[in-house]
Amino acid sequence: MNAERPKFIGARVQRFEDIRLLSGTARYIADIDLPNMLHLTFVRAETAHANIVDIDSSGLADLGFPTWVFTGKDTAGLSMKAHQDYPEMQYSEQPLLAEGKVRFVGEPVAVVLAEDAYKAEDAAEHLLVDYDLLPVVGNMEQARDPSIPPLFDGWSSNVIVQRGMKGGDIEAAKAAAAHVFKRTYKTQRQAGVPMEGRGVVAYYNPADRVLTVWSSTQMPHLVRTYISEELGLPESRIRVVAPDVGGGFGVKGQVFGDEILIGWLAMKTGRPVRWIEDRREHLIASIHARDHQHTLEAYVSADGRLLGLKADITVDNGAYSTYPFTSAGEPGMVGKVLPGPYDFRAYEATFRAVATNKCPIGTYRGVARPSAVFSQERLMDDIAKELGLDPFEFRLKNIIRQFPYKNVLGFTYDEGSYAQALEKMQVLLADDVAEAEASRTSSTKRIGVGIACFIEQTAHGTPDFTRRRVPIETGYIAARVDMAPDGEVTIDLGLQNHGQGLETTMAQVAADALGIRPENVYVRHGDTMTTPYSVGTWGSRGGPLGGGAVHVAATKIADKLRAIAAHLLQTKPDQIELVDGRAVQRDNPGSYVEIKKLARIAQRNVEQLPEGMGTGLEAHASVDGAPDGCYSNAVHAAVVEIDVPTGKIKLRRFVVVEDCGTILNPLVVDGQVRGGVVQGIGSAMLEHFIYDAECQPLTTSFADYLMPLAPEIPNIEVHHIETPTPLTPLGAKGLGEGGAIGPAAAIANAVSNALGVAVTSTPLNMNSVWKLSQHLRETA
Amino acid sequence: MRPASFEYHRATSLDHALELLHQFGDEGRPIAGGQSLVPMMNFRLARPGHLVDINRLPLNVIEIDGPVLRIGALTRHIAYFDNPLIAKYFPAFLDAVHYIGHPTIRRNGSIGGSISHADPTAELPAVAVLYDADIVVRSLETTRKINAAEFFLSAYVTALEPGEMVVAIEFPLPPEAYTGSFVELSERSGDFGMASIGITLEFADGAITKAAMVCSGADLFPIRAPEIEEYLVGKPLASPGSAEAGAIFAASIDPADDHIASAEYRRGLIAELTRRAIDIACTRALERS
Repeated sequence: MNAERPKFIGARVQRFEDIRLLSGTARYIADIDLPNMLHLTFVRAETAHANIVDIDSSGLADLGFPTWVFTGKDTAGLSMKAHQDYPEMQYSEQPLLAEGKVRFVGEPVAVVLAEDAYKAEDAAEHLLVDYDLLPVVGNMEQARDPSIPPLFDGWSSNVIVQRGMKGGDIEAAKAAAAHVFKRTYKTQRQAGVPMEGRGVVAYYNPADRVLTVWSSTQMPHLVRTYISEELGLPESRIRVVAPDVGGGFGVKGQVFGDEILIGWLAMKTGRPVRWIEDRREHLIASIHARDHQHTLEAYVSADGRLLGLKADITVDNGAYSTYPFTSAGEPGMVGKVLPGPYDFRAYEATFRAVATNKCPIGTYRGVARPSAVFSQERLMDDIAKELGLDPFEFRLKNIIRQFPYKNVLGFTYDEGSYAQALEKMQVLLADDVAEAEASRTSSTKRIGVGIACFIEQTAHGTPDFTRRRVPIETGYIAARVDMAPDGEVTIDLGLQNHGQGLETTMAQVAADALGIRPENVYVRHGDTMTTPYSVGTWGSRGGPLGGGAVHVAATKIADKLRAIAAHLLQTKPDQIELVDGRAVQRDNPGSYVEIKKLARIAQRNVEQLPEGMGTGLEAHASVDGAPDGCYSNAVHAAVVEIDVPTGKIKLRRFVVVEDCGTILNPLVVDGQVRGGVVQGIGSAMLEHFIYDAECQPLTTSFADYLMPLAPEIPNIEVHHIETPTPLTPLGAKGLGEGGAIGPAAAIANAVSNALGVAVTSTPLNMNSVWKLSQHLRETA
Repeated sequence: MRPASFEYHRATSLDHALELLHQFGDEGRPIAGGQSLVPMMNFRLARPGHLVDINRLPLNVIEIDGPVLRIGALTRHIAYFDNPLIAKYFPAFLDAVHYIGHPTIRRNGSIGGSISHADPTAELPAVAVLYDADIVVRSLETTRKINAAEFFLSAYVTALEPGEMVVAIEFPLPPEAYTGSFVELSERSGDFGMASIGITLEFADGAITKAAMVCSGADLFPIRAPEIEEYLVGKPLASPGSAEAGAIFAASIDPADDHIASAEYRRGLIAELTRRAIDIACTRALERS
C-alpha cells in the first residue's frame, strides 16, 4: 500500500471477473470436453450399513455398448486418510470405493464408465450389488450407547474422539455464582449447497508423464499433494486445475476420494475420464454440516457478571473423517470459540465427535461457529430474560473492552470494536424494540427483535494448525507478482477465486503498491502449474493473508522501480513516489519517469540499469497468519413478524454491524456479508437434511431440501466499523464466513423475544414456530 | 439424474397425437411444458418409452361455450393472470394461480399437464375439484368427460387410461351472485403448498345460499368438505362462523404425519386456512352485495 494515499484499497471497484461470469463466458468443470473421453457414473450405496456380499456386472455385457467397471477390489488399498494425531482419536479410513462394507447411503461402491454420460447412467442400473444388512447407528444417543457395536473393526466405541479444554478455576466460579443456568441447544444437519455441484475430469499424458486433474475445488495444491502421496506420482508430474468454480462455501474445501480415483482411472484406462456430480449426489454424499448438541452451564454473579462457562459438545459426524480438517475439527472448533466476545475467567469444555451411518461432516461456511454462536447467544438471552436484564445491557456488562485481550483459554484477541458495535446496533433497532414491545398484547401477530454478538478468529496461520495437529499442517498464502516489459502486471495467486472477488481486490492491492491502475493487473489462480504452492481459499483468509502476500511481493517490485527511477532522475529511491503510472520525484513533481519505461529498462534496455542491479521485475512473497489469527467482530440483528395461527415468520429486517479491519473493497465486503447472511437464514429457518430411523435420506432434491430464495430475504442492511489489525500487512481481517455465523442466533433470539419462550433448536420453520407459539393460541 | 432412453415424437395434429398414444399404450406419454414429467424422468421415477410432444396442437384456448368455460389442455399457467373471464367468473381460480410455482413453471407448465400429473398439493387439480369441472379426455376412439371428483384417485394417480389424453377442462359458469377465494401456505413462496383451501359461495340477502369447499394437504388428492358446505348455508356473510367451520373440518380429517410436518400442525393449519378462505370469500360477497 502506498501508505500516504491508498487510491484503490477501500475503493468501490466493480468486480472484473463479473464480465466473464455474467456474460456466460466463464468456463466451469462441465465445460471441459476432451477427445475420446469416458463418462463416469457412481454406483452408490442404497443402504446405510451393510456388508457387500456380491457385485454382479454380468448384465452390462448385453447392453450393446462398451463399458468399464471398477469396484473396491480394483482400488484396494487406496483410501482417504484424515487423522489428527491425538491419542484420544480412533483411526479410520474411507476406501475410494467401498471395500466389503458400506457405512452411509451414497457411499461410492463402484464406478461405471461409458462413452456417453447417458449410457454410463443406463449401464450403472444394471450393476447389481447384493447387501447383507447391518443395524444402523442412527443418532448421537445410539452412537454413545456402549451396547451398539462400533462402525469400524478395532474401535472401542462410536465416539471417534473426545477431548477437553479448560482455563481458570471452574469450581471456584460455580461456588461464587449467585445464579446457575443450564441449557441444551441443538442445530440441525445441513447440506452445503453451492450453485455449481462438484465434478472432476482427469487426463494422463504418457508423452510427458503428466496427470492433469481438473476439479471444482477450493484447494488445488492440496489435491495435488494428496494424489501424489496416494498414487505415488511426483508432484512435479501432477497438474491440478480448478476452472471457474460456481461457489464452494467450504464444501469444496476438502480433498475428496473421487479426485484421487478419477486421476487413477485416467491412468488405468488411458483415456480422459469425466464425472459431473448431480444434485442428488451432492445432497446425499458430498459433505454435510452442523448437527450439533451443546449443553452449556453458565455461572453468573448477583450483579449479572459472567463468572464461568462449562460446555458439553457433541457433533454427529457421520461415517468418515474428511481431509484435511478431520472429524475432530468441528467439535474442537466449538470448544475453542465458545468463550466468544465476553470477559469471564473460568471455562471448561468437553467435546466429542461420534460416528453414525450418515454422510460425513465437512467444512461449510462458518464451520461450527454458527452452531456455537447459536448456543452462546441463545444462552445470553435466556440468562438476561431470567435476570430481568435488557439483552443489550447484559451483553454490554460482560463485553470485552480492553485490547489486546488474552481470553480464558490463552488466545489473544487483537483490537476490535465489540462494545461499539453493540451500541451502534442498539440505536439502529430502537424503533423495532418499541414495536415488538407493543405487539406483546396480540395473540395473533407478534414482533420480535433478536441480536447475536460474536467474534470470528480469521486468517489462521501455521501456528494454529500445528497446535491443532490437523493434516492441513500449514497456513501461509503465497503470491508471485510479475511486471512485463510493457508495464502490465500478472499476479499468480496461491488462492483460488470462487466468488470472493479476488481477481479485483488483489489487483487493487497490487495497483496501490505499484502506482498503476487495477485494470492493468491480471490475476491468475487455481492452476498448480502457474501458481505458487498454498493451501487454498477457505477459512476467511484470502483478503488478509493473500492480500498481504500480494502487497509484500508488489512492494518488492516497487522498491526496484524506485531504485531504477532514482538512478535515472539522479536522486535517492526514498525520494521517489509511484503514482498514476509514474515514478515521481517527491519534491519536484515535474521530474518523473513513466513506470512503463522503467519496466522496459528492467527487461529490455538493461544497459540503462544501475550498475550491479539484476534484470527482471518479478517477486514472490508468502504471508502467514499470526499465532492466534486476528479477530473480526460483528453484531447481527433480526426483526421478525410471526403469524401465530400458522407459524409463518416474516423477516422484517436483518441488520449487520461488522468490523473486518481494513476494507479492501466495500462492494466485495457487502456482497460477502449479504451472501453469508442469506445462507445463515437458510440454516436458521429452512435447510434441514433429514434421515429416517434407518438412515435413509429423505431430503434428496430441492423439492424438500429447502434453500432460501429471494422472496423470503429482506434487504440486508450492512454497517461498517473499521479497526485495522496490526497482525496483517494491510490491516485487514477475514470476513468471508462472518455473514453466515450470526443469523441462526439472531433469528432464534427474535423468535424467543416475540413469543416469550426459549428457542432451543433450529430450523425455525413454520411447523416448529407454530409449536413454539402453542401457548398463545391456547390463551387466545 | 438423467432420464432413461426414450423416443421423441412431435404430434402434428390432435388425431396424430392420439394415434401415437394409441400405438404406444402404456409406454406413451404426452409432453407439453415438461414441468412435472421431466423431473420425474430425471429421477427415473417415470420412464416412458415414447414422448409425444403436443406443444404444436391448437389446445391453448380459454373460451365460453354455452354453460361452460373451456380451457384447452395446453393453456399455460401464465395465461390466467390477466384473463378477464377467469377474473370475472372464477375468483378462487384467480387466487389459486398466484400460488403456482415460479415464472419458469408458469410460462411452461400447462393445465393438462398439471391435471394429469395429479400432484396432491397442486393448485389446478384443487380448483377443478372445487368448481365441479369436467376433465375432457380423448383417445383415438372415444371422448369422455370425467368429473373432477372422479378423476383424481390418489397421489399421482388419475382415471386416465393408456392411450388417453386430457384435451380440455370445462368449468360450469356460475350464477350472478357468486364469489370465492383460495388460500395456500407454503414454507417459501412458490413451493408445493403445505395446505390450501378453496371456497365458492352463492349468496342472497346477506346470507350464504350455497357453498363449496376444497382442501389440499389433508389427503392424497384434493377433497371436498360436504359438511362445511352444508354448515355454511344460511350463515350471514357478516358472521359466517368461519373459525368454527375450520375447527369442524380439521376434526374430520386425517392428514399425513411425516418429516415435512406433523399431522397436528397440518390439522391446525387447515383449520386456520379454512377460516381465512371463508372470511375472504364473505368479505368479497359483501363488497358485491
